[in-house]
Amino acid sequence: MWRSLLSLRQISQRTISTASRRQLENRVPEKQKLFQEDNGLPVYLKGGAMDGLLYRVTMGLTVFGTGYVLYELMVASMPKKQK
Amino acid sequence: MAHQAHSYHMVDPSPWPIFGAAAALLTTSGLIMWFHYNSSALLATGLLSMLLVMLQWWRDIVRESTFQGHHTPTVQKGLRYGMILFITSEAFFFLGFFWAFFHSSLVPTPELGGQWPPTGIKPLNPMEVPLLNTAILLASGVTVTWAHHSITEGNRKHAIHALTLTILLGFYFTALQAMEYYEAPFSIADSVYGSTFFVATGFHGLHVIIGSTFLTVCLLRLIKFHFTSNHHFGFEAAAWYWHFVDVIWLFLYMTIYWWGS
Repeated sequence: MWRSLLSLRQISQRTISTASRRQLENRVPEKQKLFQEDNGLPVYLKGGAMDGLLYRVTMGLTVFGTGYVLYELMVASMPKKQK
Repeated sequence: MAHQAHSYHMVDPSPWPIFGAAAALLTTSGLIMWFHYNSSALLATGLLSMLLVMLQWWRDIVRESTFQGHHTPTVQKGLRYGMILFITSEAFFFLGFFWAFFHSSLVPTPELGGQWPPTGIKPLNPMEVPLLNTAILLASGVTVTWAHHSITEGNRKHAIHALTLTILLGFYFTALQAMEYYEAPFSIADSVYGSTFFVATGFHGLHVIIGSTFLTVCLLRLIKFHFTSNHHFGFEAAAWYWHFVDVIWLFLYMTIYWWGS
């Protein structure tokens, strides 16, 4: 029984295919190369196109939101006169 | 290319501080819109932008440290001071709620029946789920220490196992506490007993969720080989925070749950 358990262990350790094995390898050197490239980009945009998109979405939300807050503040500070 | 003659980190200009301030404005204004004008759009925008700022700011810190190498020992020392000071400020935050509890429970007013727990309040049995929760958090303190030792010893497999176990214990605590909240025979509206109980344990629960999230980020970084055996401050900060959350629970358990029952 123990022999079959041991061989089960060996099989489970060997079943990771080459595709998913790449995900378990150390990819930090690749990232280090990407983020140390001398391209003048600031760190918040240096990762690629997704960085720019996220930045624009965040800016859009906060700028639009701040404008809306100021609008509501104006409305709230001028109460409707009641007859 | 010019090189600096010091070991400090001169950061790239970043939009996150001002966007973070704007997000705080939107969130607080959003609360007012929700409370007084029955509109939750601004609050949702505020919380979403807060989340986006946090994700991108901390993502950038990982880039600056692990990928760009800016976290010299000098920088790390500053980060250690910073985390200690932050946790200290959180300790004072909870001190306020403990003060409120003792203010009301040491001298119970006639309106409460002159006793603590107040008349009509059936407190939770401290020897049931709260005791289990205590054991869970204490065990998670052991597992997070095991994870730390595994990291310093270079044992990747044990570190991943121990940190995963810590996070699972944190989730187990949160699930049990949520169930207790649902099943409790008293609510936050039930006199100052309900107020002190749910505000103190509620903020603690929020900190457990924050701590679990921090640990989960560390687990992902651990799996992605970000930590070395002698440089893993992100993990240490998470572990300190987690121990703090555990200590706060022990005080909550001894005072509100046990002495207060």
